[in-house]
Amino acid sequence: MQNVIRTVNLSKSYSDVKAVSEINLNVRKGEIYGFLGLNGAGKTTTIRMLLGLIKPTSGNAFILNEKVHANHNELFKKIGYLVEIPYSYPNLTVRENLEIIRRLRFISGKKPVDDIIDKLQLGAYANRKAKNLSLGNAQRLGLAYALIHNPEILILDEPTNGLDPAGIFEIREMLSNLAKNHGVTVFISSHILGEISRFATRIGIIHQGKMVQEFDADQLDILCKKQLLIGARDLELAGKIILQNGFSNPVAQNGIIHLDDSRAIEHPEQIATILVNAGCPPSLLKVDEENLESYFLRTIEMNGGIK
Amino acid sequence: MKNFTAALVTECMKLRRSKIFWITIVFFIFVPLMMGLLMLVAQHPEIGEKLGLVGAKAKLFGENNWEGYLTMLNQLVATIGLIGFGFVTSWVFGREYIDRTITNILCLPVSRTAIVTAKFSIVVLWCLLLVLIILVAGISIGYLIGIPGWSDQLFSQFFSKYILISGLTILLSSPVAFIASYGRGIIAALAFVILMLIMSQFIALVGLGPYFPWAVPGVLSVPEGTEGMELFYGSYLIVIITSLAGFLGTITWWRYADQK
Repeated sequence: MQNVIRTVNLSKSYSDVKAVSEINLNVRKGEIYGFLGLNGAGKTTTIRMLLGLIKPTSGNAFILNEKVHANHNELFKKIGYLVEIPYSYPNLTVRENLEIIRRLRFISGKKPVDDIIDKLQLGAYANRKAKNLSLGNAQRLGLAYALIHNPEILILDEPTNGLDPAGIFEIREMLSNLAKNHGVTVFISSHILGEISRFATRIGIIHQGKMVQEFDADQLDILCKKQLLIGARDLELAGKIILQNGFSNPVAQNGIIHLDDSRAIEHPEQIATILVNAGCPPSLLKVDEENLESYFLRTIEMNGGIK
Repeated sequence: MKNFTAALVTECMKLRRSKIFWITIVFFIFVPLMMGLLMLVAQHPEIGEKLGLVGAKAKLFGENNWEGYLTMLNQLVATIGLIGFGFVTSWVFGREYIDRTITNILCLPVSRTAIVTAKFSIVVLWCLLLVLIILVAGISIGYLIGIPGWSDQLFSQFFSKYILISGLTILLSSPVAFIASYGRGIIAALAFVILMLIMSQFIALVGLGPYFPWAVPGVLSVPEGTEGMELFYGSYLIVIITSLAGFLGTITWWRYADQK
């Protein structure tokens, strides 16, 4: 499939600080790419380079196979974007702010402004000055700037900041629909991992300026650790019985045995049978699966941890 | 042209809603009003006695006639203009950084050059309006207080000089735009304007005014024949080169500098 967004050894340094180091990204058409990282990991710097707002120290970014640079105005016709917290002209109303973007994007007619106001449920605030908007509605207005021209590509930096749970759900559904039904490619950065895991089709993890992992979201099941949690009245005895039956490495922690033996995870009923037959019946038996959040934390821990 | 028109229309929309625009208009009406008051005091010393200090200041006009008053109007546009037009420029360019809207307008189909050119155009139009306000307010107040010695020839001489001084002062706004963009706000730009104003006073005092661009409008505003205050063609060229450098520097900055 065609790579819509691609970076080749993309790097950015500020004096002696390497903000982003040799990032290689590949985002395919219609994909929702979740770009994950802690604050200061290099997400926004990467996004700014994808938009030509800052020049890479080395390496290149390509969108639709064209090299990104600050003055590639033709390319920007196809991109909708939101960088960090969206700001608007404070003394202009929501409608006037959108009108400015409409004109600067050469969109004819007033209808696109009405449509995007409806789409992002900003109707009640259309004539309100931007300075009087709540954080959530300011965020919606920022998303409206990104979506007003029905772009092929959306580059969004923390787009759900400040939105309430209903707003987050609504935006997630909208982006999923755009990707699935309209072939829009969505590149979205976030540190809200649970959110990304719900709708991203591909995930990249950036840490301390380096890309530490990139994988398809449906691989998450394979990548995430699973373990069998076992509770018993006599934990020591239960551990011995498990070991005697050829299962490896039971670790007792906080009153529970953690067992990462794949045979036990696939057949927990065997553990139950063994323990019952040995007169030490289990009080808890649960297959625990790591989520994206724990996986992310484990991945960055393996790559230098949080500094 | 399509780029420029779109950018200019949006700049007009921003300007229309801006309080600063209306504040500058009120300020530029207020200043000639104060000048008119000084003239009134100069003509009627009995009022000056009641007002104390103002009476002494009123002697600034030299002759209490239209010639002195119009000379003062030229000096006013050279000094207040330098500050006012500098403020206008720093606001038009610096507001995108203060309001943090700069990223909204940089990755669009409209070219950055068109946006910068539209901003310069709005600065010129805004400043020309302020020039017109000083002129109309100044002349009207002069008539109202009944200054003696009006002649069409005097006005014609004044008018051509007034337009030249205003034009030169407006031209000197472009380096302010560069400083506002480079400094990402209006503070550095305003500091630069004040510094240039102070420097122009000192440099003019030592007789080097014709060589220092920010002193040139002020030098032009003093009565002809004043020692050390004669401009030469190179003086105008220095202003034009400074203006071009500011304009091209601003465009280059917007096109190529990192926008963090």
